[in-house]
Amino acid sequence: MKTLLIVSHPDLINSGSQQYFLSSLKGNDKITVHHLETQYPDGKIDVAKEQALLREHDRIIFQFPFYWYSSPPLLKQWQDVVLEAGFAYGKRGNALYGKEFGLVLMIGVAEREYQAGGTELFSINELTKPFQAMAHKTGMIYLRPLTIFQFGYLEEDQKMDLLIKYWQLLTMENDFSLTTREKWLIAMLKNFIDQNSDSPNARIFTYAVDLIEENRNTIDGLKMVFDDMYD
Amino acid sequence: MEKQEWLFKQLQEIYNQSTDFNEVVLIKAIQNIINEQTKRIEQMEGELEGTLWSPRKWGE
Repeated sequence: MKTLLIVSHPDLINSGSQQYFLSSLKGNDKITVHHLETQYPDGKIDVAKEQALLREHDRIIFQFPFYWYSSPPLLKQWQDVVLEAGFAYGKRGNALYGKEFGLVLMIGVAEREYQAGGTELFSINELTKPFQAMAHKTGMIYLRPLTIFQFGYLEEDQKMDLLIKYWQLLTMENDFSLTTREKWLIAMLKNFIDQNSDSPNARIFTYAVDLIEENRNTIDGLKMVFDDMYD
Repeated sequence: MEKQEWLFKQLQEIYNQSTDFNEVVLIKAIQNIINEQTKRIEQMEGELEGTLWSPRKWGE
């Protein structure tokens, strides 16, 4: 699976939260990071090039700071010109059909405010309806969004847990069961072991893979006992 | 459990010394998933024990 990460941010270099997530992706050949404001400083979008990029990828992610309940202007402009009739919808417009679509949102207000009774009144699910409708109209499968609230206030542990969820949104199949998350992590670890076979840490990571697999066998064994009992 | 303790100790040493941030986050991911698996196993074993000792089962 290849993922296209379309980032829109007018001042990406100076955004600590954006850099935290993006810097972890360096060297990952399964993810194409595409920052619109760097690509098109004059705002003139190359529609054919963007459409070709979309065709080459299976999962499309928009990552942006949530400004006035929407995206920065260049991403809206991108939607207006790239997702045209005949490509994304309408007669023969099925280029995106069956792909997956997700959002990564950096939000400056606390999570508790996005509900009835909160200062923002509406939930993120309500406020992102235009993106859900876009995915629906173009035949894409809408993924659970990753919402990052007040990044600067988070503890290091919480940031790392978010980074793991970020990697999962970008590279894991769309299923968050424990089994799927185990398989995904084992694949990540095996990849790390392959790339760092000389490192003494590779031995420890191999041991971790073995223990995760052993625990999975125990869980499956217990499930079988329950299945027999309740039959 | 001994295996897990040994592994977590080794991981913590790498965690403290590593200069590769992605490696550190991978260690956090390993700890998270093993803790979740352990909890799942404990819950299932607890349920199994409770079921085996249930008086309703004694007459069977």
